[in-house]
Amino acid sequence: MLTVVKNIKNQLKVSFLTVKYALIREMINKTTFLTNITFMILNDASFILQWIVLYALKDNVGGYTFNQVLLLWGIAAGTYGFSHFFFESAFNLSDTINNGKLDAFLVQPKNVLISTITMSISASAIGDLAYAYIMLFVFGFTIKNFLLFTLFCFTGSLIIVSIAIILGSLSFWFNKSDVIADTGNSLLTNFATYPDGIFKGITKILFYTILPLGYVAYMPVQILSSFNIKLFILVISITIMFITLAVITFYRGLRRYSSSNLMIART
Amino acid sequence: MNEKAIIVKNLSKTFRVKEKEKGFKGSIKSIFKTKYREIKAVNDLSFDVDKGEILAFIGPNGAGKSTTIKMLTGILFPDQGTVEVMGIDPKKKRKKLAYEIGTVFGQKEQLWTHLTPYDNFKFFGAIYDIDDYTVEKRIKELKDMFELDEFINTPVRNLSLGQRIRCEIVASLIHKPKILFLDEPTIGLDPVVKENIRTLIKRMNKEYHTTVFLTSHDVGDIEKLCKRIIIVNHGQIVLDDSMENLKYHYLNKKIVEAKMKEKVNLNDEDGITILKDKGYNLKIEVDTTKRSVGDAIKLLNPNNIIDINISNIPLEDIISDIYKRDK
Repeated sequence: MLTVVKNIKNQLKVSFLTVKYALIREMINKTTFLTNITFMILNDASFILQWIVLYALKDNVGGYTFNQVLLLWGIAAGTYGFSHFFFESAFNLSDTINNGKLDAFLVQPKNVLISTITMSISASAIGDLAYAYIMLFVFGFTIKNFLLFTLFCFTGSLIIVSIAIILGSLSFWFNKSDVIADTGNSLLTNFATYPDGIFKGITKILFYTILPLGYVAYMPVQILSSFNIKLFILVISITIMFITLAVITFYRGLRRYSSSNLMIART
Repeated sequence: MNEKAIIVKNLSKTFRVKEKEKGFKGSIKSIFKTKYREIKAVNDLSFDVDKGEILAFIGPNGAGKSTTIKMLTGILFPDQGTVEVMGIDPKKKRKKLAYEIGTVFGQKEQLWTHLTPYDNFKFFGAIYDIDDYTVEKRIKELKDMFELDEFINTPVRNLSLGQRIRCEIVASLIHKPKILFLDEPTIGLDPVVKENIRTLIKRMNKEYHTTVFLTSHDVGDIEKLCKRIIIVNHGQIVLDDSMENLKYHYLNKKIVEAKMKEKVNLNDEDGITILKDKGYNLKIEVDTTKRSVGDAIKLLNPNNIIDINISNIPLEDIISDIYKRDK
């Protein structure tokens, strides 16, 4: 037991250092770093303008009030922010596998998957995170809301990172599967900011199965609007399920890893 | 009997490679029916390495060197056979093994380029769960041994290739590994830096008794560092011998280069092979098991010789001869 705690502590120390050093790398060019963050906040804010116009004409879109749309945006931005700040390289997993870049982590006494997905960060994700909390303030800041909001941004990010890992791990089996991974990842981002009431039928089923935005954004909005313990447990359980699936898929695939020797070539 | 650092038995690894007929038609066809070809990268390999030994593991490109190293370090899973590195099966106990080995892949950097070597070493210390005091002590020790004083606080991206390789080796030694795997550590370095790296590896082997498993295309690395050599080709061992034996068996051939006053007419005969004949400049190979070098000089006529040079066959030629023989 003591060894397990020690191992977790050491793993966390290395992961913290990795994120710290990756952040230092992003900050080398101060202007680019700050511009990336600012433009991401402006980019997110620009979308709210169209919702302001829409809500001037209608009181309710897909069952969502304007305040709830702001919260949905907050959770979507927070989820995106957390996942791309801490786990940016999960979204480039195909490339890491195809170019034999797992070698460095496989010879280290640490968890390969964690080391692989935490090796880089995205500066613009800081902009998303800042925007997410601005939205929370507009929606209504209370300690309870803050804690739940942060938790859901984190569970959401764990779900989309898990999906990115599953899609990226396909590269262990199939050549050129990076296209599938890219499409899957962008689908998740594209739909996350629309009220789920506007989607019907199969699309809605998809959001609660293979494109689990229901658990990433829609259910958290419902819980934050009016707390529901059943939904809360469901979100946590689904998150654990996706993490488990991702871990199993990655380690199954790792047995097939062929560690190609990286060469720059036109492909 | 010497204690073993590495024991490999009947190791095999096969890769499946997609095959496509040529042209656009071939691409369309391959969508519906994909053909695969199996490549045996490593085929029934067996060998062992003593603790403290420096071994050269060499072979032409695609011979299976890197695949073998990757199976020994836990990067790749073998299809067949067993591997024991410091008594650990890399397939089952990858993390445990990682504490015992260090790796330097000349073509794959493991250092963060925006950080200084010092910060990198601290990071590696954390990876291997070494406390701050011990890591500081170790950095100081390695800094002195590898002469890093001048640039230990300069970001890695601003270092020369030779300085970087030195730092890569130091990073892989932070946790005092018992075996160091060096995959082409001197690739792309100039002769002076190469020599410097070799001296440092030798010193490290002597002081820490670290076992060194080296792959290299550089004959100088092999000749100057290793006492034993394993040559692989097509995934199999074609030679496993001491450097001394290798030289002894091949060095019964001498190269005689002579500058002549007058042209000589010499033909290939028993024990003598003409390698180059440019009239006044002659290069012959003498097989000393059949003819003495003295005989060969007599044939040239000593009075006719202005200058003469007698040398052994370069190790490079010996190795490429072994590669060719195996084709």
